[in-house]
Amino acid sequence: MSGDHIHPEPTSFLSKYVFSHDHKVIAKQFMWFGLVWLGIGGIMAMMIRWQLAHPGDPIPAIGMFLFPRTDGVLDPATYNTLFTMHGTIMIFLGLTPLMIGAFGNWCIPLMIGARDMIFPLLNMLSFWTVFLGGCVGLYSLFVPLGANEAGWTSYATLSTTIGAQGHGETLWAVAVFLIGASSIMGGINYMTTIIRLRAPGMTWGKLPLTVWALFLTSVLNVLFIPVIGSAMILLFLDRAVGTSFFTPASLMQGGGGGDPILYQHLFWIFGHPEVYILILPAWGFVCDLLSFFARKPAFGYRTSVGAMVAVTVLSAVVYGHHMFTTGLSPMLGESFMLLTMIISVPAEILFFNWLHTLWKGNLRLEVPMLWAIGVIFVFGLGGLTGIYLATIGTDIFLHDTYFVVGHFHLTMAASALFGTFGALTFWFPKMFGRRMNQTLGKIHFWGTIVPLTFVFCLMFAMGYSGMPRRYFDHTSAEWLADLQHMNVMATHAALLLGAFQLVFVYNFIKSRWWGPAAETNPWEVGTLDWTMPTPVPYYNFKEIPTVHTGPHEFSHPALGDDRDWIPMTEKLPG
Amino acid sequence: MRAAALNLPREDDKTKVNMTLGMIFFVGSWAMAFGSIFLSFLVLRQRVGVWPPEGIALPSMPMATVATVVLLASSVLLHVAVKRGEREAGGVQSLWLGGIALAVGFAALQSWLWLDLMAAGRFHTSGLYESLFYGLTWIHAVHVVIGLLSLVWASVGLKTGRYGSHRLSTVSNIAIFWHFVDVVWIVLFLGFFVF
Repeated sequence: MSGDHIHPEPTSFLSKYVFSHDHKVIAKQFMWFGLVWLGIGGIMAMMIRWQLAHPGDPIPAIGMFLFPRTDGVLDPATYNTLFTMHGTIMIFLGLTPLMIGAFGNWCIPLMIGARDMIFPLLNMLSFWTVFLGGCVGLYSLFVPLGANEAGWTSYATLSTTIGAQGHGETLWAVAVFLIGASSIMGGINYMTTIIRLRAPGMTWGKLPLTVWALFLTSVLNVLFIPVIGSAMILLFLDRAVGTSFFTPASLMQGGGGGDPILYQHLFWIFGHPEVYILILPAWGFVCDLLSFFARKPAFGYRTSVGAMVAVTVLSAVVYGHHMFTTGLSPMLGESFMLLTMIISVPAEILFFNWLHTLWKGNLRLEVPMLWAIGVIFVFGLGGLTGIYLATIGTDIFLHDTYFVVGHFHLTMAASALFGTFGALTFWFPKMFGRRMNQTLGKIHFWGTIVPLTFVFCLMFAMGYSGMPRRYFDHTSAEWLADLQHMNVMATHAALLLGAFQLVFVYNFIKSRWWGPAAETNPWEVGTLDWTMPTPVPYYNFKEIPTVHTGPHEFSHPALGDDRDWIPMTEKLPG
Repeated sequence: MRAAALNLPREDDKTKVNMTLGMIFFVGSWAMAFGSIFLSFLVLRQRVGVWPPEGIALPSMPMATVATVVLLASSVLLHVAVKRGEREAGGVQSLWLGGIALAVGFAALQSWLWLDLMAAGRFHTSGLYESLFYGLTWIHAVHVVIGLLSLVWASVGLKTGRYGSHRLSTVSNIAIFWHFVDVVWIVLFLGFFVF
């Protein structure tokens, strides 16, 4: 049952493409699943932006089909559902399956020299559990009284029966639980695989940084997803059978009386590691991609690893900065503020390592490289604005404003998204044996990064001016009326951003089936995944390779003039 | 032991380590899940002030103690069974069955605790104490049921020779899971009945 033996290749359609144990097939299942949800979540974002710019106007084109009862106009409940499900879908069903499900599955065995994941059956279950979770989430949109309206954080008592009567909220809790269970299964599998199935010579100091990042992500998944699992169970019990963990005594009809703030603690004990779960894989991709396309060794490999380990550890002890306004004791608040400031130090170390990797490199500005540089840019913007949110004095003013929305979209959402696009465009030739169109790829990159930066930077300005999150119609508030022109600009930029994603969809679909054939190693890199033939055989490696050199040995003086890279399986000459 | 009945090859040490390592990560993950539930318990208990609340019927302490002893005993039997299996000694199946019998005994005692409390008119909606007691024991009971099913599955495997001294990883991992269920119950017992 482990991935170190050669098994016969399955032949039936079901065992080959649907209930496959092969990590490469599961990776593609996760990829298509994540891409579909990314699209759904993206359309929701467009509808939210439309409402912010043109409250009360029918949504063009799709409004009539989605909301025929109101002639395409959003009502407040639907708006709440949209921003709630946009967050939930993007985090749990879009980016997590793509970065961790798809590229965790694709990269880990191929990059460490294993024949498959160590527990292939568990791997399959992981995909089908998240699939079931996605189905429950989708179904929750169509139940009476609608889906979850309490925000992706679903704070009690908005999320208990006091604030949400319908089944949507209950189903949301079930969906999040299932998706979490899937992540835990994946995490256990990835950790055990990386510890046990590395090829001979693939020491921890030679692991590609992508694998390091995915390993640390898995540690966080295994340790902190269970916390939200527990919160979801308690919330489910509160909603479904009438216990009172999160409902205060004053709101209970019979006896009872719990603590709504407890829910926030549980949520953020999970929630802060979760943002690192989303950003660590993107960091890993960036660390490797920058070196691959700058034709230089990744600067400070050991410090990059150390920084990512430090972030992983510290991410567990900073969650209180989400709760500065809940009446946290000042001493506790200051501790969390200090720890949050400290966690930016390893992030800065990574940042300088990236810049130094680029410095005087022989840059090849291919599409994956553009995305990697894009991550540096958006993560830098988002990270700098995080300092204001880590500081209690400014956070109390900025809390729950669009400043926060701009901040976490740049750090967590845009960086993770750019990292995903980088990985998709980088591994595409190995996954599908075809090349994507580079011109369309570059159009997509510039058409994404420019409007995206514009939208979220406008959000900083609006948030700083006091515009709160989650208002249905802020034009009804007099003090926000002056911000309307900024909202209109942001919405139009966001619609432009959305339109440019169609370029990606076209390019991806067209290249997948009709693109020109790709060489075995089009990017000229030495990691194990690029040393094998395309398509990758079912058992990956007929002979488990022996690793001699590191993953980033570019432009080494010992190499001759004919090539500036060396496969990890070869010894450096001399 | 009719270990050779299915004629399955002896598992190598590498597989054993792989499976045990996976199980350890799994248990670590579950420990975080129960850890956050215990955290909730402590926070809510702290909020109430008087604990346990005065003037309400409480679950039976003597019966809970008996349940704890029975559960501990089942864990001991399973542990001895695995150790004997590793030494390729006999009696693994009967020890395992004894462990299952005691596990069923625990489930019965747990059900009795619920029925007794319900007979006294205390339900999960009655108050915070009841929310916690029923809620936490329900969550634990789900793991008891999963554990019991796995124990039965393992005993079938031991009988048919699918598992045995030559292939003990699955059996020993199921025992680890049961020990974990045991530890969680002990913490619950300490929280509700001792401190």
